[in-house]
Amino acid sequence: MDSAARRVLHENFALIRDLQKDDPIYVLSREKSVDFMRRHGSRIGRDPIIAVHDMQALIKGGTSGFHGFRLSLGLLRTPEQALMGLQAFARFLVEHRHSSDLEADIRTRLRREGFAGAIEIAMHHEAREIGE
Amino acid sequence: MFDRVTEVISLVLGALAIGYLVYEIDRRQRKLHDIWDVLDGEDALITDSLEDMVESGELRPFAGAALA
Repeated sequence: MDSAARRVLHENFALIRDLQKDDPIYVLSREKSVDFMRRHGSRIGRDPIIAVHDMQALIKGGTSGFHGFRLSLGLLRTPEQALMGLQAFARFLVEHRHSSDLEADIRTRLRREGFAGAIEIAMHHEAREIGE
Repeated sequence: MFDRVTEVISLVLGALAIGYLVYEIDRRQRKLHDIWDVLDGEDALITDSLEDMVESGELRPFAGAALA
């Protein structure tokens, strides 16, 4: 299904690939994607999905605990949202490539985004009252 | 008497404002988790499927210049 997220990923894929040239990237073909979604229906509607597997975590502890992270780009509906999401994801990948605790970095980032959003709401309400 | 009522109203409004902020933080974090989250035990089956595809050779590293 053609979506804003899919178009944004296609347009920026070459750059993402170049930023991650030290690690292999695997892309499921359309046929493989459809077959995969049939077996894992929970992912339908969230694609395109970018999953990053932390090989060190996988080798150390398997898949029962933390072993990577994923971006469900398909949940971002507009091209602007999809591009911002992809850029943030790429930036995170580059900045935290050698992180000693990737899981903590991700959870800290998500917590911070939640707080930042709430502060933004509070400031917006205050500005409206002042009449700006 | 009027001061007391005003004080109570202020407290209630303050509590509502804080409650709304807490709700909004939680809502945004849940939405973010939906979009961007860690892979853990809940994703084990999917990760194992993908890793099996790589190990079997069904999935190979992308070597193209752009997506088809």
